[in-house]
Amino acid sequence: MSALIGVMLRELGSFFRTPVGWLACAIFAFLSALFVAPQSLVPGEPATLRAFFGVGHWLLLFVAPALSMRLIAEERRSGTNETLMTSPASDWAVVFGKYLAACCFLLVMLLPTLAFPLALEYASDPDYGPILSGYLGLVLTGFLYLSMGLLFSALTSSQVIAFLGTLLFFVALAFVSSQGAQYAPEPLDGVLRALSIDARLADFARGVIDTRHIVFFVSMSLWITSLAVVPLEWRRWR
Amino acid sequence: MIALRDIHKRYARVHAVRGVSLEIPKGQVVGILGPNGAGKSTTIRMIAGAIPPTEGSVSLDGLDSVGDSVAVRRCIGYLPEANPLYPEMRVIDYLRYRTRLFAMPRSGRSSAIQHAMERCKVDDMARRRIGALSKGYRQRVGLAAALLHDPPVLILDEPTSGLDPAQIAETRSLITELAGDRTMLLVSHVLPEVEKTCDRIIVFAAGTVRADGAPSELMKTGTPRFTVECSAGLKEALGSVPGVASVETEHLKDGFERHAITGAPDADPREALFEKAKGTGVTLRELKREVEPLERFYLRLVERAQREDAR
Repeated sequence: MSALIGVMLRELGSFFRTPVGWLACAIFAFLSALFVAPQSLVPGEPATLRAFFGVGHWLLLFVAPALSMRLIAEERRSGTNETLMTSPASDWAVVFGKYLAACCFLLVMLLPTLAFPLALEYASDPDYGPILSGYLGLVLTGFLYLSMGLLFSALTSSQVIAFLGTLLFFVALAFVSSQGAQYAPEPLDGVLRALSIDARLADFARGVIDTRHIVFFVSMSLWITSLAVVPLEWRRWR
Repeated sequence: MIALRDIHKRYARVHAVRGVSLEIPKGQVVGILGPNGAGKSTTIRMIAGAIPPTEGSVSLDGLDSVGDSVAVRRCIGYLPEANPLYPEMRVIDYLRYRTRLFAMPRSGRSSAIQHAMERCKVDDMARRRIGALSKGYRQRVGLAAALLHDPPVLILDEPTSGLDPAQIAETRSLITELAGDRTMLLVSHVLPEVEKTCDRIIVFAAGTVRADGAPSELMKTGTPRFTVECSAGLKEALGSVPGVASVETEHLKDGFERHAITGAPDADPREALFEKAKGTGVTLRELKREVEPLERFYLRLVERAQREDAR
């Protein structure tokens, strides 16, 4: 546990000590504000953050891989994985420490967007149910993106490949789970729809907290993060 | 004790280490020499637990480096060749991170960090970013990190590589201090460093151990050479002494002669030379065995290994 906390704190500190972290925060806040402002505060329309949650997960699709691409690939590139692998820390502690750090940073990155509900509160009387569930959906999606980014980062020493691999995986998943499901025979179409992140997020944005969605995001994130241990173990014992 | 039993390391197309067996007793300071690609770094990386052997076993005090990997890694302080550090971290934060990686007791962490920083003389740099430090200081930070958990085994891979002469001298004296009663493996290309610091030298070439012994013993393993300085009249008699292969004579200005004698392999004709000088009645003022410099010994060994490998 001590090693996991050590890795997590070091990684979290590294997000704030390097420009990548601050840049990701700034870009996410700026772009989400750019999309949200004209669509959330329309006179005569209900005050909601649906526009933000609609665009937020697409922004995360770019920002989360940018955060996760360096998690393990950078250690390998700089050679610091050598001192990490010769310490008594287990590969599980290393992987989950890094994953938790990225998740914590994602939460920090979402903090400035709390200005949006505050602005809605100032301008009207928003319904907080969909806002809270929408944030939950966004956070869970971000955690899922980060886990896949971590897996790609463990598979390659190139940060660019880790970034593009994660991005392309989720773009392909979005395409397959929507377009592919339309043409797939039964029961494959049902399986493909179940993999859809968009559909689950739409429920969260409407204020529906379905435990199946939560189980999907949490279990997928943990499973993919656990998979990231395999390349590390492989390198240690091959 | 560190024990390597017939270890091999194979990569896709390279057989980097070929059947190395060694025993390194507790407290010994061992210098590991060899040209680039000789297999020395691969061997110590296997000892440090960074990579497993393809065949054979590495053990530390009976603990297997693969089966008891965590326990072995806890006993080793390792400074890799490139001394990889996190440039964005402050020195003290990096050392704190290392205490957590080694799961050191919370109560002893601060004192361990302070002690390691003082020993490696980086305490005045504690709050500086590692990336802003000179190479010499970064090397000290790497050493402090390797020492932090007070390991009984310290493995240093080219600790003075890339340093200027003053920094090399500083780091060398630090290494001598650190040795104490620890087992230390020191990989280096700097022969005087190894000669001065180590109790034992192991020379690697082409993935195998080519020489292993105390520096003074290794330097005696070449063709034996002797010098005799005496008054004139001994030259002809020297050729008949058993164990003498050849003699080259130089006439000195004071009337004496200096005979450079090449001995037969493994021969030590010094006593016979003395008796011969005594018997012929010449005045003998010097009789000594020439010690081959480590550098010459090393180069001879490496050249031979390369020739054999080319065949």
